[in-house]
Amino acid sequence: MKDIIKVMGLSKQFRDITAVDNLSFSVQEGDVYGFLGQNGAGKSTTIRMLLTLISPTAGDIELFGLDLRHNRIAILRQIGAVVEKPDLYKYLSAYENLKLFAKLSDIKFTEKSLMHQLETVGLVGREHHKVKTFSQGMKQRLGIAIALVHDPKLIILDEPTNGLDPQGIADIRNLILHLSREMKKTVFVSSHLLNEIEQVATRVLIIDKGKKIVEGASSELFDPAKTIVELDTLNNTACLVQLQQSQWQQYLQPKRSHTILLKLNRAQLPQLHKWLVQQHVELISLQPRHTLEDFFLQVTSGKQYVEAFTD
Amino acid sequence: MWKLLQIELYKIFRRPRTYISFAAITALIGVIQLGLKMDGQAYVDFLMSSLKDTFEFDGQILNAYLVCFIILQLLLIHVPLLIALIAADMISGEANMGTLRLLLTKPISKTKFMLAKFFAASIYTFILLVWIAIFALAGSIWLFGTDDLLIQKSTYVVQIAESDVFWRYIGAFGFALLAMLTVTALGFFLSIFAENSIGPIVTTMSIIIICTILSTMTIPLFQKIQPYLFTTHMVNWKEFFDEKVDDQNVVIRGSLQNPQRIIDSALVLVLHIIGLVSASIYIFKKRDVLT
Repeated sequence: MKDIIKVMGLSKQFRDITAVDNLSFSVQEGDVYGFLGQNGAGKSTTIRMLLTLISPTAGDIELFGLDLRHNRIAILRQIGAVVEKPDLYKYLSAYENLKLFAKLSDIKFTEKSLMHQLETVGLVGREHHKVKTFSQGMKQRLGIAIALVHDPKLIILDEPTNGLDPQGIADIRNLILHLSREMKKTVFVSSHLLNEIEQVATRVLIIDKGKKIVEGASSELFDPAKTIVELDTLNNTACLVQLQQSQWQQYLQPKRSHTILLKLNRAQLPQLHKWLVQQHVELISLQPRHTLEDFFLQVTSGKQYVEAFTD
Repeated sequence: MWKLLQIELYKIFRRPRTYISFAAITALIGVIQLGLKMDGQAYVDFLMSSLKDTFEFDGQILNAYLVCFIILQLLLIHVPLLIALIAADMISGEANMGTLRLLLTKPISKTKFMLAKFFAASIYTFILLVWIAIFALAGSIWLFGTDDLLIQKSTYVVQIAESDVFWRYIGAFGFALLAMLTVTALGFFLSIFAENSIGPIVTTMSIIIICTILSTMTIPLFQKIQPYLFTTHMVNWKEFFDEKVDDQNVVIRGSLQNPQRIIDSALVLVLHIIGLVSASIYIFKKRDVLT
């Protein structure tokens, strides 16, 4: 698989604020790449740099094997993007907006092909209504139709489910899966909501304060073998010594708080519990953290499990 | 480039705001013409009162050419506001709507994008001036008929033969177009710094007002900078309505009293336009799109 996006040491400084800090990652052809981070983590700034809306302070970006600085137009021809909320010309209809951006994309199109795009995003029947009468979800879908109008290889969606109702969120999720599975597009999708990414992404990158926290295949990050168990007892120091002298020693993770962390398979939990009881450990809690969401929340709040996941 | 220009023109002329200017111009010209039609003779008598003792006038002083001259004098001060409404909105309006980032993710050169936007605003300015010309000149010809044009200058009176007037209006409108394109370029330049159009529109008008005051005040300090102010040159369309006299003090028909002043002023305005548009493109390409 060839790299569609290759970001190397990317940084962006806004006066005294570092929005993106030495970020490196790569997206391969066919990936649905989930770009996760809390609001203000640097996701939109990174996406804007990928789309040449913002100039990086440092670092390099390659898309389709081409240097972005010197091949802007050739690269943008192959990208369809919706950056944050899709703001469109409110005084024009859905069809007129789509036609205008199709012209800008310098492609050949017919009324039929534009109507097909509107059909793909479920806007047929509203094509001649002015955009100012549209709901946020409809605008989002029209934004995606505009992003797809020139049949790009890479689709970049920045927080595509922001402001949508549950049905709208499900529609966008299905659309992303359709683009990836049926249309064989590479999709780069950002969100601050992990459960959205969890359901569509093949690879995930989590950033916080502009820095990469963890990157990996979803299958690895969700792997039950990577369950993190948080152990809290009345005497954690003594318990840790006992664990270090037992068969559980190999599962221990570096200590970062008063609790004890172990990385093990979910199926081993009953055995661990039984062993702790046999050792007369006064247990307060034994808490498995098996979803990426727990990890994500921890990462973005205290980074407790970061190294455990990235080992 | 042509495609970009078409798109920009399409956007301008699909917006209701665009037609406010045309409606305002039509109403203003109509009101002036109506006023002059109803009570114009009294106005002309007042203007010519100091001359009536010395000269005898025959023919129709209040004719289409004089009405058009009066309209131009009144309107060309206010037209910049109507131009700023569009020109100062070209980039800031897109930033405000959020469409700027969507446009710039399309495979278009930023330089061509900016040029297309400026040319589209310039075409709007041109159409607005043609609209003024049609209503002010053609409308007045229909309402008042034609005759010689009599203009009172500060120390003398110019009488331009009826047959010698029309080309002067073409020249005056051409010059006025250059002047208004300078306003377009100024509004366009200011629009790259803002995220809504109110700021650039108000700033454009403020600059024009300040520069106009500096251009007209006869204070030595201001007189030194006056040749460099575009507002000093914007009013030189009036030079088309002055004739040269020969050694015997006889008017040379079809002549201009000071063609060099027209050329110099036109050059200053063109330099302003080129400078402002080049600066707009340069700064826009360097700026981050954060809207």
